[in-house]
Amino acid sequence: MMHIYAGILLPSSVLNSDWFAVLAAFVAINTIIYVTLAVAKILPRFRLRFITKYFQKNRRIESRGI
Amino acid sequence: METKWLARIVGLVITAVAVGAAFLLAQIVILHPDLGVPTPIKEGLLGEWDLLYSSARPPASVFWAAVALALLAAAGIAIIERYAMRKARLSLNKRETPLSPILIMKETAGRHYPLTLTVLVPAHNEEAALPVTLPALMAQSYQPDRIIVLADNCTDSTIAVAEQHGAEVFVTVNNKRKKAGGLNQVLATFLPTARDNDIVMVMDADTSLDAGFIEAAMDRFRNDRALMSVGGIFYGENGHGLLGQFQRNEYIRYSRQINRRRGKVFVLTGTSSLFRPAALKAVAEARGHTIPGHEGDVYDTIALTEDNELTIALKSLGALMVSPPRCTVVTELMPDRKMLWTQRMRWQRGALDNIGAYGITLATARYWAQQMGIGYSVIALYSYMLMMLITVIAVDTWIWFPFWLLIGAVFIVERIVTVWRGGWKARLLALTLFPELGYDMYLNAIFVKSIWDITWDKKAHWGWEQTEQSVLASEATEGLAP
Repeated sequence: MMHIYAGILLPSSVLNSDWFAVLAAFVAINTIIYVTLAVAKILPRFRLRFITKYFQKNRRIESRGI
Repeated sequence: METKWLARIVGLVITAVAVGAAFLLAQIVILHPDLGVPTPIKEGLLGEWDLLYSSARPPASVFWAAVALALLAAAGIAIIERYAMRKARLSLNKRETPLSPILIMKETAGRHYPLTLTVLVPAHNEEAALPVTLPALMAQSYQPDRIIVLADNCTDSTIAVAEQHGAEVFVTVNNKRKKAGGLNQVLATFLPTARDNDIVMVMDADTSLDAGFIEAAMDRFRNDRALMSVGGIFYGENGHGLLGQFQRNEYIRYSRQINRRRGKVFVLTGTSSLFRPAALKAVAEARGHTIPGHEGDVYDTIALTEDNELTIALKSLGALMVSPPRCTVVTELMPDRKMLWTQRMRWQRGALDNIGAYGITLATARYWAQQMGIGYSVIALYSYMLMMLITVIAVDTWIWFPFWLLIGAVFIVERIVTVWRGGWKARLLALTLFPELGYDMYLNAIFVKSIWDITWDKKAHWGWEQTEQSVLASEATEGLAP
């Protein structure tokens, strides 16, 4: 008896096709890009404090208050 | 303006960049087909069940390349924005950037006018909202000197209600240009006599300011005379079920982002923003010359999103602006899908129109990048959904992918953390991940429709059909008049 591999609507061989491999890899890379941005949103914000501090002394040479 | 041609092809430019980037990535993937090939499937056992799992994951080099790409893109946009701000701060070009802090500091040196506040409340049939808004405004820890309700084409008792609550009333005359037109009328009478520190606040009649909003904003103006504008940060009101929760989560994430940017402004929200007179005067003078619009108008009456347009106008003129964390307001949400669609179509189309009108400049670079980012996210999200769909309908045996489950878990953590302050309902919705992905797909569809419309020059509208029709009708009648 022959065993037919089949999904609900499409044959499961679709998942082993070349174009699906391309789609999967495209999605995989995008997912990593977006998960990187997601991690960046969770972590405390990265700031170059020492650089900001260095330039800070050049700023506000006078009070800007009214 | 020489950039007028951009207005029509703005959609094509954004589409070309987004599709181009996706195409480039697809080419790389095709040239290196091994990137997506799953490694052999191993069978594992977990308790009573047989579980099939695959250790498939991208090679380390691909993983780190994608991480680097994401960080570079984010850093690139941040650097451009920082460069634009720094350039505006130090610009001595009086014609192009009359509002640059360095110029304003020189102009106002030695002038010490007292700080005053005039609140403008545009109102079109707002008899129901004013009895809540006006007393709340007067109960703020910093009392406004004047509150002026702009009664615009009102057919209800807006005028009487406003007077009852102690506000001044300005009745617009023959205004056919909605909120922007009404504001232009009152500002034309206010600005000529306004001095450096006579701050103007524009707020919607249905907005409720959080306690301490005005005090925090006025402190900023007191401490920095080069500061041209303070914008509110908005949160969604309660109610409206699941659709309301989607919008609340969206607004919470947006405000969190603003706070993490230390108040760097995206949009000076029309719901509540404050301006120095110099800022509004400079915009009115520059229109038709260095920025789009009619000379003499503070607000661009053609723009669908006049607050976004004014923000870009001010940034183009070098103005310093901030959204302080204490300046929060609660704004109304769209109660059903149809109204949400109309509102977002207007926002999205307005945003595209605005950057098209201004062209690609240092001041608009951040906004272009944002639209291109949305364009790319449409491709990324829909291709992800397509892959999931194909997998689900083609798979004969369910296989678990631990690596991708871990990635999914990170996404869920991010969704939850970013709405944490919204309470358990917000977190619960974030935890389920897919409903919010569905909401994102809905917003993406609106983006695509806007791009389509702008490219084929379909007319955009305000979504206030009643008003729109009456305006069109009155204009048509005028045309017929002898």
